[in-house]
Amino acid sequence: MLQPKRVKYRKQQKGRLRGNAQRGNTIAFGDYGLQTVEIGWISNRQIESARVALTRHIKRGGKVWIRIFPDKPVTSKPAETRMGKGKGNPEGWVAPVKPGRVMFELEGVPESVARRAMELAAAKLPVKTKFLVRED
Amino acid sequence: MSKQVTFSVERREGKGKGPARRVRRSGRVPGNIYGHGVEAIAVDADAREFDALASRISVENTLIDLIVGDEKPRPVLIREVQRHPFRRQVLHIDFFAIRAGEKINVSVPLHLIGTPSGVRNAGGVLQQNLHEIEIECLPSEIPSSFEADVSELEIGDVIHLSDVDTGGFPTEEAPDTTICVVQPPRVVVEEEEEAADELGDVDMEPEVITARGDDSAESGEGN
Repeated sequence: MLQPKRVKYRKQQKGRLRGNAQRGNTIAFGDYGLQTVEIGWISNRQIESARVALTRHIKRGGKVWIRIFPDKPVTSKPAETRMGKGKGNPEGWVAPVKPGRVMFELEGVPESVARRAMELAAAKLPVKTKFLVRED
Repeated sequence: MSKQVTFSVERREGKGKGPARRVRRSGRVPGNIYGHGVEAIAVDADAREFDALASRISVENTLIDLIVGDEKPRPVLIREVQRHPFRRQVLHIDFFAIRAGEKINVSVPLHLIGTPSGVRNAGGVLQQNLHEIEIECLPSEIPSSFEADVSELEIGDVIHLSDVDTGGFPTEEAPDTTICVVQPPRVVVEEEEEAADELGDVDMEPEVITARGDDSAESGEGN
């Protein structure tokens, strides 16, 4: 699963996401894209799950690009722990996304296959999404 | 040479985000006309008409006769179309006024013709890396598109910019820029993938580069 190799700090503050994606909001590599229309945190497990769904559906052909990277650590406290005693332990990694962000791209398959593959991948994600086709 | 089309816009009075938003609410799109030695003009255009135009033409390399109000048409290129990050709505249009006899830089779309034999017979994947080529030419000579025949490509074959006929127009891209490549088919081994998934579940903590020692790493984070 995706996660950073080295980090400066183990834990991060939660932060807030506002506005739309001003970068990474157009198709850059492939012919088809999956774009979020909501704010959200996409975990590395969700990204992996969506990737597997994509690659299984397109079988041999096609190339997939993942355009988000989970570089934000999320922490959680162990079960049945009283509040306080500091921040919890790092439990996973997320990629914060803003509306408009193109998360996955695909090339080398017919549009119908790409559409269905993206639909399957979108089902693994915690945000509403939109299917994009490159405009020539 | 691209086909020439006509489009009408009106002069726009207000400037800044307030008036621009009012213009958008009224179903129009704010824009500007500018160019070398040309005084910039703030204009607005009908959003639906512009959408229809944009779907009909190749936006970046089609010469347009732009009619501002009831003035005489002036030749322009569409330099930039700003769109909403995820809605289709056009937010702003840049029209670039051109001067006859003055060379300009234009992006011309590049189309790949045919299906590579490496894709047809061996199941490869055609990956196009460059979709537009920026050239320098006179406004009267703008080509509508460039074409590259890829039907003979086998797996691993690459087409470089130097292999494409760009009509002799100078371009800033290096001649060895990759246009497209036929990649070998991805070999999906389900078990391998499953194994990778399981391996991925074992989350290794990344190296913390500011860690000075086991104790100080924790205490330093709050600051």
